[in-house]
Amino acid sequence: MNRVRRHHSPELRGLELALLALPVAALPHAWYQPPWVTLIVAAAVLLRTWLHLSDRKPPSIGLMAILAAFAGGMTFLQYGTLFGQEAGTALLLVMMALKLLETRNRRDIVIGLFLGYFVVVTTYFFDQSLVIAAWSLLSTWLLTAALIQVHAGRTLERRRLAKQSGWMIVHALPFMLILFVAFPRVQGPLWGDPQRDDVATTALSGELNPGDIAELLQDQTTAMRVQFHDAVPPPRAQYWRALVMTNFDGRRWQAEGGESSIELPSPGKPDEVVAYTATLEPTRVRYLPVLDYPVSLPDNAEYRDNHQVIRDRRIVNRIQYVAEADLTRPPGGDAPLSESARERALELPPSAAPRARAEVALWRATHGDDDRAIIQAALDRFAAAPYRYTLQPPTLEGDVTDQFLFETQAGYCEHYASAFAVLMRSAGIPTRVVTGYQGGEWMQRGEYLRLRNADAHAWNEVWLDGEGWIRVDPTAAIAPERIEAGIGGLTGGEGEPVPDFLRRDGLGWVQQLRFGFEDWRDFARFRWESWVLAFDPERQRELFARFGLDATDWRDIVIALGTGFGLLAVVALAWSVWRRPRRPRAAPDRLLQHLSRRIERQQAGLGRHAHEPVVTWTRRVKAARSDLAPIVDAFAEHYNQTRFAPTRPDDRARHLTALRRLAASDLRKPAAGHPVPRMT
Amino acid sequence: MRAGSLGKHLPEGMIRWVTRRHRADGAQTTLGRDRIYILPTRAGYTLLAILGVMLLGAINYSNNMAFLLTFLLVGIGHNAIWYTHRNLLGLKVSALSTTPVFAGQPLSVSLRLEDTRGRDRESLHLSIGGYTSEAVAVPANGRQVATVPLPVLGRGVYRLPRQHLGTRYPLGILNAWSWLGLTSEMLVYPQPVDPGAAHTGLGDEAGVQRRQDDASTPDHIRPYRPGDPPGRILWKALARTGKLHIRETVEGARDTFWIDWSAMPASDTETRLSMLCHQILAAEAEGRAWGLRLPDQILPPGRGPAQRERGLRALAEYRFEPIPLPIPETTRGTKK
Repeated sequence: MNRVRRHHSPELRGLELALLALPVAALPHAWYQPPWVTLIVAAAVLLRTWLHLSDRKPPSIGLMAILAAFAGGMTFLQYGTLFGQEAGTALLLVMMALKLLETRNRRDIVIGLFLGYFVVVTTYFFDQSLVIAAWSLLSTWLLTAALIQVHAGRTLERRRLAKQSGWMIVHALPFMLILFVAFPRVQGPLWGDPQRDDVATTALSGELNPGDIAELLQDQTTAMRVQFHDAVPPPRAQYWRALVMTNFDGRRWQAEGGESSIELPSPGKPDEVVAYTATLEPTRVRYLPVLDYPVSLPDNAEYRDNHQVIRDRRIVNRIQYVAEADLTRPPGGDAPLSESARERALELPPSAAPRARAEVALWRATHGDDDRAIIQAALDRFAAAPYRYTLQPPTLEGDVTDQFLFETQAGYCEHYASAFAVLMRSAGIPTRVVTGYQGGEWMQRGEYLRLRNADAHAWNEVWLDGEGWIRVDPTAAIAPERIEAGIGGLTGGEGEPVPDFLRRDGLGWVQQLRFGFEDWRDFARFRWESWVLAFDPERQRELFARFGLDATDWRDIVIALGTGFGLLAVVALAWSVWRRPRRPRAAPDRLLQHLSRRIERQQAGLGRHAHEPVVTWTRRVKAARSDLAPIVDAFAEHYNQTRFAPTRPDDRARHLTALRRLAASDLRKPAAGHPVPRMT
Repeated sequence: MRAGSLGKHLPEGMIRWVTRRHRADGAQTTLGRDRIYILPTRAGYTLLAILGVMLLGAINYSNNMAFLLTFLLVGIGHNAIWYTHRNLLGLKVSALSTTPVFAGQPLSVSLRLEDTRGRDRESLHLSIGGYTSEAVAVPANGRQVATVPLPVLGRGVYRLPRQHLGTRYPLGILNAWSWLGLTSEMLVYPQPVDPGAAHTGLGDEAGVQRRQDDASTPDHIRPYRPGDPPGRILWKALARTGKLHIRETVEGARDTFWIDWSAMPASDTETRLSMLCHQILAAEAEGRAWGLRLPDQILPPGRGPAQRERGLRALAEYRFEPIPLPIPETTRGTKK
C-alpha cells in the first residue's frame, strides 16, 4: 500500500504491536468478567485496528468522554460500585480498551501499555495457576516489545523486538527471585477484607447433620497436600483432625472453638514422631487440619482445650505449615476428664433416640461396666448386615438417629459417627465427633499425599479413663476399605455409584494415560503452590532462619537483599568480562582477513599487507589473477558499503551475507567453463 | 516529558558546573561512562507509581503472583537503566563541517555517530539549543549522521554551542544523555543584495570606482546581469528601451574587477556586505577574476571556488568575533 497515511504519525509506530499485546493481556479476564466487558474490549480492539488499517482518525474526545461515562455506568449497574476487585477490574479493562481506541500519540500508547501490565496483575485476583503464570509471561513479553517499538526511532524487525523484549525479561528474572524471597513481607491485608465473597472456598462445615446431602464428598478439588519428612504412616493411621464436635441437639452436631489454649503433649519416642509439611488451600476459617495426634505445631497456631488446632487468623490464602504428630498419643491421656467436660461429652437431649437408648440399655445389662465391650457391641452392630456404606443415602426424617439405626441403615461416615456417638452417650461413655480428612491419594510423582475435599471424614473419640480420648471409627467397621484405601477404594458393590474421578481400577490405557497426565499436572501444581503461592511471612521467616537470619529484623533483610544483589552483580560482571574478547574486530574486517589469507595460500605474495588499502590490494590481485577479479571486486564493493557508507541494519546484514559468501567462494583457477560468482 | 528533558533545560551555569570536568572534545569524542547521565522520564515516574500500587495490592491481597509480576517489572525497569546507558556508551561522535549558508537560509548541523562496539544503537536524538534531530539509529560497527535543523541566522561566524545527545530507548522510562562540546565553525554569509536595485535614482557614477583602463576601452553593450556593477548601467538606454543594459569592455572576462566596500551605495555595514556578496557571486557566475577591498583587508584578485570561499568568508567575518550560536536553550524546536 502506497497510500499516504495522513493520520499515522511516526509516533504511532508501536500501535500495531499494542493492538496485539493488550488483547492477549486481557484474554484471561474473559472467563471471569461479565460478557459485556469482554465485548467492549473486543469491539474497541477491532475498531481501533480497522481505523488504523483504513487510515482514519480515532474518535473525538467528546465521544470518548460519553463512552467512558457509559462504561463507568455499566460497571456501577453491574456491581453497585466502581471499586473492589471485580468492579475495579471491569473498570480497568474497559478504560484500557477506551484508551486504546482513542490513542493519538506516543503518550497514549505508553499509558495503554502500562495499563496492560496492570490488567495482567489483576488476573491474579481470579486465578493463580501455572497456566496463568505462563500466559502472564507471554503478555509481559508482548507488552514490553510494544513499549520498545514505541520508543525505537524506526520500525524494528520483528526478530529484533522479540529478542530484545525476551532478553529484558530474562535479565529481570534473577531480580524477581531475589526480591520475591528477600523483600520484607508483612501480613496483609492492609485495608479491607481481601477475599471476594463470591469465591467458593470449600471447608469442612462447622456443623454435622446426618440428614443433609454431603456435597463435599462429591468435590474432587484439592483440600491439602502433605509431604512427610521421613516415614509415611500407614493409611489407617492417617487421620487429619480438624474440627471437634461435642454439642448435639438431637439432630446436628456443632463445632466450637474450645475455651482456652493448652500445652501440646510432649512427643514420645523419636521414631514414633511423624514430621510433615502441609500445604492447605484457603478455607476462610481458622481451623488447621493436623495429623493425629499433634505434638508440635507452627507458631501461629494454638492447641485448644477441646484438642482442636486453630490458627491466629482466618486462612484466606494458601498456607504451608510444618507440624509433627505422634501416632500413639491420644489427647487427654495424662489427666482425668474434668467434670464439666465429661458432662458436655455426655449431653443428649432427653427425647433423642428412644429406640437407641433401649438397645444400649440391653448392652449395658449384658456387659455391665465394661465400656470396651459396649463399644465393640456398637461396632459389631454396624458390621453386621444390612448396614451399608453409601454416598447417596435416603433422606432422614424425624429422629435421625433412630431412623438411621433401625430403618434406612444406609449412610456414610457422618451417619455412622453421629449414630455411634448417640449410642455411646446413652451408655454413659463420654463421646464426641471429630471431622477432618482421612485417606487421600499417594502421589508417586513428587511423593506427597493429596487430600481432596472428597476425603473429608468424620469419626469419634470416646473417653476411657486412664487412656484419654481414644479414636473409634465406626465407618471402618462397615466399610474397612474406605479407611484402608481411601474413598476411591470403595468399589461400587451393589451398583453403588462411585464418582469417576475416584476410580483407579479396571481402567483402559486411555484412562491410565489420562491419570498419568493428571498425576504430572497435580505434581506441577503442587510444586507451584508449595514453592511459590504458599510463600508467606511465615515461610520467609523459616527460610531466613535456615541462614541464621531473622526476617523480622530490617538489618537482616538488608543483608539478605545485599547478598543477593551482590552475587547478581558479580555474575553480571563475570558475564560481561567473559563476553568481551569474543568480539575482537568487526565482521567485515575478519572476512577481509579470511579472504586475503586464502588468496595468499593460492599464490604467495597476493595477500593483503597490513595497512594496504583494500582498493590497492584488489588491483594487485586482479593484475596477478584476472580470474579472481569478480570476487575481489564484489568483495571490495560490499566491504566499502559496510565500512564507509551509513547503512541501515538490514542493508548491512545483506552486505555481510554477501561478504561471507564471497570470502568462502571457490578461488581455484577456473578450468574451462568454471562458473564465476557474480556480484550481487 | 519535562523531567526527561532535564538535560536540555538546566540553567546554563549548572550544566557548565556539571560538565566542567570533561575534557575539551575537539572534533571527535567517544562517550565514556564519566559523561553519560541518566534520569527517569515522566513515563518512568508513572511506571514507578504503578509498580508502587501493584506492590501495595500484592501485600494487601497476599497475592504471591502479584509479587512476582511486580518484582519482574521492577527488574525490567532496573535493567532498563543499563540498557539505556549502554545505548550511548562507547559511541564515537564527530563533528562534520557545516556547509556555509547565506543569511536567511536555514542552517543545519550534522554530527557523525559511529558504533565500534558491535551494538546496534537505536533512537538517538541530537539536540542543539532547543532544536532536535530526528531519531537516528546506528547499526553495529556502522555509522550514521544526525542532523539538527537550526533557525535562520544573521551574517557571521558562529561556534557550535554545547550539543546534547540523548536517548530513551528501549522503554522510554529513562533518559540517558551526554553533553558534547564538539567544536565546529559555522559560516553565515551575508544575504546577497543587488546594489543596482538599491542604487536606482542615484544615477551617479561617482560611487563606482572605475579603473582608467576600463574607461579607455571601446564599449560593448550587453544586457544587464545580476552582479554587474551599477556604474556600468546605461541609464540613458534604460530611459529609451525600459531595459537595463550595461557597457562592457571587450576584454571583460580577462580584466580584474575590484569589488569595493566604499563603492557600495549603502551606508550601513550589513547592507554593504550584502551588496559585496552579490557582487562576488555575480563575478563568479561570469567567470571573471575579481578582487575584494574591505576597509581592513584586501583580497588579491583571483577566481574560482577557493577565491569565492575566501571572499565570502571575509564578508562573513568582517568585524564579527566568532560567537556561539545565538539560540535560546529553552526553545521548543522540532520535537522528536
